[in-house]
Amino acid sequence: MSTSNPSRRRSFTPYFLIAPTLVFLAAFFAWPMVQGLILAVHDDEALLPLVAVASVEGDRTGELSQGAAVEILGQQGNTVEGELTSDLLTEQWFRVTAVGTDGAAVDGWAPETRIRVRDEANDGTPLAGTVRPRLGEGAEPLTDVLAEPNERAEVTGSLDDRAEVEITQVTVLEVWFNVRGESNDGATIEGWAPSRFITTFESGEEGRVDRGSDGEFTLRFVERMFNDRFFSPALRTTLLLMAIILPLQFLLAIGMALIVHSRLKGGSGWLYIFSLPMGMSDLAVGILFFAIFTSNGLLNSILDLFGLIEEPQVFLSADTRGWIIGAIVLAELWRATSIVMVIIVSGLQAIPDETLEAAELFGATYWKRVRYIMLPLLKPSLLVALILRTILAFQVFAVVIALSGGEIVTVLANETFRQYFSLRNNNVASAYAVFILLLSLASSVFYLRIVRTQDELASR
Amino acid sequence: MAEIRIENVTKVFGDFVAVDDASITVRDQEFLVLLGPSGCGKTTLLRAVAGLGMADAGRIMIGDRDVTYARPGDRNISMVFQSYAIFPHMTVRENIGFGLKMNNASQGEITSNVEEAAELLHIGDLLDRRPNEMSGGQRQRVAVARALAMKAEVLLMDEPLSNLDALLRLEMRAELKRLLREVKATTIYVTHDQIEALSMGDRIAVMKDGLIQQVDEPSTVYAEPKNQFVGSFIGNPPMNFLRGKVHMASDSVAVAIGGSEIVPSPELRDAVSSFDGRAITLGIRAENMGALNAQEANTVRVQVDVVEPLGAQNLLTVRVGDDTLKVSTHPTFPVSPGDELWLKFPADQIRWIDPDSGEVIAGGTS
Ligand SMILES: Nc1ncnc2c1ncn2[C@@H]1O[C@H](COP(=O)(O)OP(=O)(O)OP(=O)(O)O)[C@@H](O)[C@H]1O
Ligand SMILES: [Mg+2]
Repeated sequence: MSTSNPSRRRSFTPYFLIAPTLVFLAAFFAWPMVQGLILAVHDDEALLPLVAVASVEGDRTGELSQGAAVEILGQQGNTVEGELTSDLLTEQWFRVTAVGTDGAAVDGWAPETRIRVRDEANDGTPLAGTVRPRLGEGAEPLTDVLAEPNERAEVTGSLDDRAEVEITQVTVLEVWFNVRGESNDGATIEGWAPSRFITTFESGEEGRVDRGSDGEFTLRFVERMFNDRFFSPALRTTLLLMAIILPLQFLLAIGMALIVHSRLKGGSGWLYIFSLPMGMSDLAVGILFFAIFTSNGLLNSILDLFGLIEEPQVFLSADTRGWIIGAIVLAELWRATSIVMVIIVSGLQAIPDETLEAAELFGATYWKRVRYIMLPLLKPSLLVALILRTILAFQVFAVVIALSGGEIVTVLANETFRQYFSLRNNNVASAYAVFILLLSLASSVFYLRIVRTQDELASR
Repeated sequence: MAEIRIENVTKVFGDFVAVDDASITVRDQEFLVLLGPSGCGKTTLLRAVAGLGMADAGRIMIGDRDVTYARPGDRNISMVFQSYAIFPHMTVRENIGFGLKMNNASQGEITSNVEEAAELLHIGDLLDRRPNEMSGGQRQRVAVARALAMKAEVLLMDEPLSNLDALLRLEMRAELKRLLREVKATTIYVTHDQIEALSMGDRIAVMKDGLIQQVDEPSTVYAEPKNQFVGSFIGNPPMNFLRGKVHMASDSVAVAIGGSEIVPSPELRDAVSSFDGRAITLGIRAENMGALNAQEANTVRVQVDVVEPLGAQNLLTVRVGDDTLKVSTHPTFPVSPGDELWLKFPADQIRWIDPDSGEVIAGGTS
């Protein structure tokens, strides 16, 4: 019914007031979050561009995908003048003079990996050093000295381990490989790429694109998530848990809140007792219930005490999924009902006493007051609690881990964790995270919609 | 048949006595106004009758039934709350029909009662609104309509007209009175507006600091207040009070006031003479004094301070020693500020008050 009034002045004061908060959120929360979540559809290292000459300015000849096999056709070390570009792998080469293995004087280049610098000038320029010993079996015993600062250059002599060398010149090289491989569209392409993106095999003739330097948007990870064999069990279990837990939880919470509300005048003892579980972390609660249901746990002890069982029952095993689900439901009810209750209690306290007294006076019994006065007036509180609990139910994790080890019963949050930690698959983990986020958003919008249409119907 | 008997009801909040040993009997179909200044315990007493907040002592009977421990819903009462207490999530129609619905009335009965009550209170066109779409006065009328629609035997109203503008209040006052005569409910009506009390009540119960001061018909409460408080609380202007001193004259008792002597009426002489040598308070209403230009028997000389012409009368503010009085005179009586007058105190209009207790001295048991 709100007929919009075009001449209404908008007040910007609230926007100014929240501006610092928005900046803070954007800088420290939204930005990193987007960075993380974008992983779900973006592969940062998907493509390796090849260029025509061994230089970042070279023209692109094509791209190779990550993991593509390549032939290594050549190698080039570009001398770096002045500033180093952090983008490329660099190597330091020393020009050394020493007495060779055969007693002759040797003059040539050796990489920094072979020479330990023992003496430096005041400005840090290396002056002298020794040849590093080669360790391990089967290692080439001698260190070669080369004509040029390039591993493929001609060998001019060999040095013994720990031979003393004089360093006459230092140069820094960017190492590039000339490679040939098959691009995504099947064409064979050739070009140069910085060596650090390529793993070479033993022979030195062949290698593989280790990772790319260019990103690419892709639904690959989302598809991987959907096709993951744990995806549908995880989704199903999450929804099943929600469908069992939420209705029970709200019934319980409303009951508890009514008890607390009617007793508050006499003291708030019930409130404290009921909200005790809020002080425990979800993992702790999971462990607590594990201790109850485990084969030598409390439940078995009690059953045994009353002579109901001959020997300890195994409740939490692959054959007793039902028991695990039951234990998770109990643990979640025990843990998270109190927060719902607290929200409802605060909603109840916002109802004026006289409103309830009026209802009582006009002949409403307690149940009718609950039905016709309290519940309708609690609608905003219930909505808040419902949205909160639904979002948290999509994220259920620690209790499940504690009670099933995350193997027998799995949930969406657990799959995120598995992909990230066990499988080191950040992108798929991120896809799971985005999926949970979207489910949460959708459910909130859904609830708000329902309430709004209801209100519209009611005010008609 | 729904007589309400409030017997020795006491209600205590912590160590504060809100209602102190109150006893009132409201006759069947009577309209009793409970009148008193703010905070004197009117709402508390009314709530005790309704069963909201149990009385700490005493007994409440409705009809022949002891309802002291009955639940509010079982007392066959309806009530208008001071804060309205209408249900914010229901439309006006649902609000008014709530009591009937809870008592399982038929849909037809609900509809007709709701519409009837809404018509009476001029809110027939608001039936589909919600409380947050209405003014305070409209909400208050919804609260009244909700109470009326119940057609209960006992109707409790806590300042039901306090939020209406003067004109509407005047109209509603008359209408409500007619209405209540029709529905034949026994009514306790709380107000702190003495005009409302005088014009509407079959009887008025005046309350102060949790104590019932006087329960009488309006004219009696007005003319013969039981004590100084009732006299000063009711009437506009309130009753005048003058300090005097009692002494025995040659043949009978007299009271010295402002250099004159006032002789009490014969049936009060014995009572007044017991104050011989002590102070006494004289109470008299503004319209019961005669203003004269010359001294007579039972007159006191006064100085006129202010003259307020009110059309039908002139209201004078006059001084006698340290006391001020309000006197109403006929508009043709010539007077101006600064004049000296003689006021005549007719002996039968004077209420003699014990200055220590504030109680009006009753006529000797004659
Ligand atoms: N729940 C309560 N707890 C403590 N004191 C209370 C409570 N309710 C009322 N009182 C006190 O009891 C006294 C009487 O209150 P009550 O509401 O009956 O006054 P009232 O005569 O209705 O006044 P008003 O005309 O302003 O409505 C007041 O002094 C009030 O402070
Ligand atoms: Mg009150």
